Amino acid sequence: MKAMYLANYFLAGCVAFTLLGWIASLHPMAMKAVLFLLAAMAIAWGLSWLLDYSLSKLLKITVADLQAVLIGGLAMLLIGLGVFLCS
Amino acid sequence: MQLKLFVLSASSVVLWLVPLAALDKKLDIHKALQGVSLCAAIACAVSAGNIARQLADEGEIEELKLRAIKADVEDEISTSVYVSQQQRQQEAELILTSPGVDVEASRQALEAIYSSDLQETASPSDSPDYPIYLEVCKSMEAGKSVTLIVENVLKMGGRKFSEGKVKLQNLLNQFEGKSND
Repeated sequence: MKAMYLANYFLAGCVAFTLLGWIASLHPMAMKAVLFLLAAMAIAWGLSWLLDYSLSKLLKITVADLQAVLIGGLAMLLIGLGVFLCS
Repeated sequence: MQLKLFVLSASSVVLWLVPLAALDKKLDIHKALQGVSLCAAIACAVSAGNIARQLADEGEIEELKLRAIKADVEDEISTSVYVSQQQRQQEAELILTSPGVDVEASRQALEAIYSSDLQETASPSDSPDYPIYLEVCKSMEAGKSVTLIVENVLKMGGRKFSEGKVKLQNLLNQFEGKSND
């Protein structure tokens, strides 16, 4: 059941990134805003990966859990935007 | 609950993929439909995730309960084993310290106790002492005294009389204890 709940949250993340792509397709300004958001997320992702030990202490989770969340987020982005771009 | 979870998960996937792939792009409202279905897909996935998390928590609680019950049963068994061991030890000490019984008779009594513990699972009629016990029972029903039973049935008169008394007591304990079980 735990796998089911993780899979559902993963699915929600994928759909959220597809929605972000859909918003970007509405207007050039929206595209710029989404790109800016994605750039900010990429910087946050990279910093989190570099500062994983201190961040895991701050969030009170294990380093492995933090890395799993980061990799899961990247997979959500790739799948979500991939589905939108291929449609 | 599980059916709801699976329906929500499946509808989430459908609402995510179908409008993107199958919707006619010439329609004026296709963008709006895509947006609505994507929002609905997120809502379905999140609510399915919440339900699945609730079920997983309940399962964990059930598992903890089961583990606690098992530990309780194990504790009870070990306590009863400990208590019976203590009782046996006390019985042995009592026999060894009782006056008027020589060491050989005590040793035989202890042997009888431990062998009866080992043979707990066997039926009473399998024991070689069972016919003697039956004879003892008959004599007791006939109203014969302990002295007569020890001398005539167990054939342990004279110097062996105290030993015979212990044997009689052991016989009664062994078979009456089993018949009570």
